[in-house]
Amino acid sequence: MIRKLLVVLFFASILVACQTSTAPEEDISQEDLDSVATGVLQISDEAMGDIVQSFSNPVEMAALMKDAGVKYSEKYLTPTDYADNYNTNFKKALGLGVLSADLGYLNIYNKTATTVSYLTVIKRLSDALKIGQFFDFSTLKRFATNNENLDSLLLLSVSSFNEMDAYLRETNRSNLSMLIVTGVWVEGLYLATQVVKNDYQKEIADRIGEQKIILNDMILILQNYQQDPSFARLLENLNDLKQSFQKVEITVEYGEPESVERDGMLMIIQNTKSVVHLSRETLNELILKTEKFRNTITQQ
Amino acid sequence: MKKIVIAFIVVSSLFLLNTTANAQCKQQLVYQCATSNNKAIYLRDFNAKLKKTRPNKPPAVARFSVVLNKGTNYRFNLCNMKGFEGRSVLTLYDPKRVHGSTYNKSTDRDWKYLDFICQKSGVYFVSIKWKKGKDDKKGCAVGIMSFVGKNK
Repeated sequence: MIRKLLVVLFFASILVACQTSTAPEEDISQEDLDSVATGVLQISDEAMGDIVQSFSNPVEMAALMKDAGVKYSEKYLTPTDYADNYNTNFKKALGLGVLSADLGYLNIYNKTATTVSYLTVIKRLSDALKIGQFFDFSTLKRFATNNENLDSLLLLSVSSFNEMDAYLRETNRSNLSMLIVTGVWVEGLYLATQVVKNDYQKEIADRIGEQKIILNDMILILQNYQQDPSFARLLENLNDLKQSFQKVEITVEYGEPESVERDGMLMIIQNTKSVVHLSRETLNELILKTEKFRNTITQQ
Repeated sequence: MKKIVIAFIVVSSLFLLNTTANAQCKQQLVYQCATSNNKAIYLRDFNAKLKKTRPNKPPAVARFSVVLNKGTNYRFNLCNMKGFEGRSVLTLYDPKRVHGSTYNKSTDRDWKYLDFICQKSGVYFVSIKWKKGKDDKKGCAVGIMSFVGKNK
């Protein structure tokens, strides 16, 4: 009897030792897998996940704009009814990214009345991509409708987005994760370019120029899926943007950091600085190309 | 036979509890940590599941890459699961230098936050690991990166 018990304990221990992730245990059948190409990865999933996760955040560009004193404008947002035409997983993932960036923008500016319609569409798209389980729609909707707990609304929106993205990568659907991230990035770039188009601000123009760094990595990863015609078209647009970004020069001036201790916190001031050289001519080119590209992917 | 079934149920329950504990660890800590950053805007979390250090081995380290943008004040804070308070440390670095850490080794003091005023856009790295001598158990810690504002 003891021997049998030991055998059972041995196999059960293996079961415990084999768990690897905190992602929900969900069976994904072959049919559920996406119609878009899964691609032959030239870099490891782990390395890619690392790169993808460090790309765009759905609220950072909006937070920067609000902090810079930029006024809210609803005309920058993608109309939610465009999502009715997103009939493939490719379009849904890209659209989900775009609308998530818009949701971040709305949340940063506390526009809770409009937030609900974006939440509804995002929920629908994420359900269609089988990642809706990370979206606590009822809580988010309650926060937005009652105009309460706005910090929690923002926190829950962004953490849901981060979890969806991480789960796609954990379940070998990095292609969709990449599309969502691309959508967020394009919409963030669109918001920033529209702002400087109407009211030039050096720090936002600099942030636009710095996107050169991310775009190069993004193209590198998307190339893994270029055998899919939809990805190939996406890459054509991104490469066109890249041509203009190549005219942006980023130089570095070195300096020693300073540290300040205050109220139990440590502040590090980096004195090595990157300097963005972006001419008005190149900026105008980027504004036009971004507008065209963003409209192509949202009105697909 | 009955004992075998009972043993299997007990160990399977341990497995399920462990899985749930990890997920709960993350969810609870992210919320707790992201709401204790003095009104900074949550951007991202770094979920570190750290193993206990084996004799003569370096402590387990969880590493994450992150793109930081020039002109922004980022805040990093760290929260540990219950019973593990003060056991871990978060460090921000790039391939050339360590920029800062939530722990001052020379004074054995933890900072509430590490604020980093970024002046050079690019890829940086965040590591979370056990402090030396506090690595005798496995556990989890969550680091939070938030947006404080532009560098005025």
